[in-house]
Amino acid sequence: MGFFSTTTTSPPPPKISSDGAPIAPDRTQRAKCWEGRDGYFKCLDKNGIIDSIGEKDKAEKACASEARGFEANCASSWVTYFKKRRVMEYQKFQTMEKLRAEGAQEMPGEIGQGAPGQKP
Amino acid sequence: MSKSFTPSRSLLSSFSRSLKHDKPTQQCLRLRNINASCLHTPKSFSTSSARTYKTVEEARSRYKSGPFSYRAGLLFLTSGAGLIFYFRYEKARMERLRVAEATKGVGRPKVGGPFELVDQEGRRFTDEDMRGRYSLVYFGFSHCPDICPEELDKMAVMIDLVNGEGGTANSESSRDGKEKEKQRKLLPLFITCDPARDTPAVLKEYLKEFHAGIVGLTGTWEQVKDVCKKYRVYFSTPEGVKQGQDYLVDHSIYFYLMDPEGDFVEAIGRQHSPEQAAKIIEGHVGDWKGK
Repeated sequence: MGFFSTTTTSPPPPKISSDGAPIAPDRTQRAKCWEGRDGYFKCLDKNGIIDSIGEKDKAEKACASEARGFEANCASSWVTYFKKRRVMEYQKFQTMEKLRAEGAQEMPGEIGQGAPGQKP
Repeated sequence: MSKSFTPSRSLLSSFSRSLKHDKPTQQCLRLRNINASCLHTPKSFSTSSARTYKTVEEARSRYKSGPFSYRAGLLFLTSGAGLIFYFRYEKARMERLRVAEATKGVGRPKVGGPFELVDQEGRRFTDEDMRGRYSLVYFGFSHCPDICPEELDKMAVMIDLVNGEGGTANSESSRDGKEKEKQRKLLPLFITCDPARDTPAVLKEYLKEFHAGIVGLTGTWEQVKDVCKKYRVYFSTPEGVKQGQDYLVDHSIYFYLMDPEGDFVEAIGRQHSPEQAAKIIEGHVGDWKGK
């Protein structure tokens, strides 16, 4: 991916299943990853950073230790996914606020997150 | 006001003059308001005066409440409430029927169709194995960061709500366990979009954390692409990925409810709580009479 090729620790290699494929992170590993993510995003919030990929240097300076905790517990594809999702959710929130300010009428039901063809 | 009545009154009188040949009736009409002496004629309008009461009390109570009684009122209310309840029930049933019918394609089904995959035990599993009961199909992959695990937890709650708690482990190879599992109303299926990494053994490890009853399906890249296409699932998994490669997969995130004939019934999305979803499923399951 190139974003974290420099001095990043990644989670321990996954266990290999009986038919030779890597086993997916289990419930505890997922929880650990989400914890690391939440810690990192909290730090980004404190420093007013939304896009930690676009503002890589700034994020790296402000939240280096949190970033290590995040990357150590999540696969790198997950790290990128969560970072992008943070930006997307911020934009969604902004759009919703803008529409609300313009007096748009809210419809029941949820779209966006439930829309098809979206990353899981 | 009275002025406006005059022409009509004169009209009436001319009308009555024209009917003069029918004298007795004419008289009766005129006298009706004064007394009922004319009612003995065969053309009488009502026989209500002929009613007799056994006692004075009965007559008096009749007089007080008129034609209404508690029994009549109660009958009115219960039948009214019954009708309202029935209409509501019918309306909900028709609505479900409409949803189910609207998605049923003519000829070829629009969503779903024949497929051949393997389950987490490595056994062959085809669309034929879905027949005979409703199934809930979810597409995902085990290396999914956050949405699939959330949705699978939801699916586990739905399964317990519809099938009752304590699903027999799918891995249970005893005939008893398998037969018991077949009795259950809903067959939950998880079809991977990432066949390169999701081998049967990986799916087995992954799914047992959510619900023992979920059948995990995988296959070759072509087989999975085919089933995704048939279920109109967006499929973006790259072909021929190397072992150990780290990537994510795009996919649709709906639960597909399929009827016992393998036809698509309704999609359940992220906006539904497990309780709402279970209610939808049970509604459709209850409607099924076999076609």
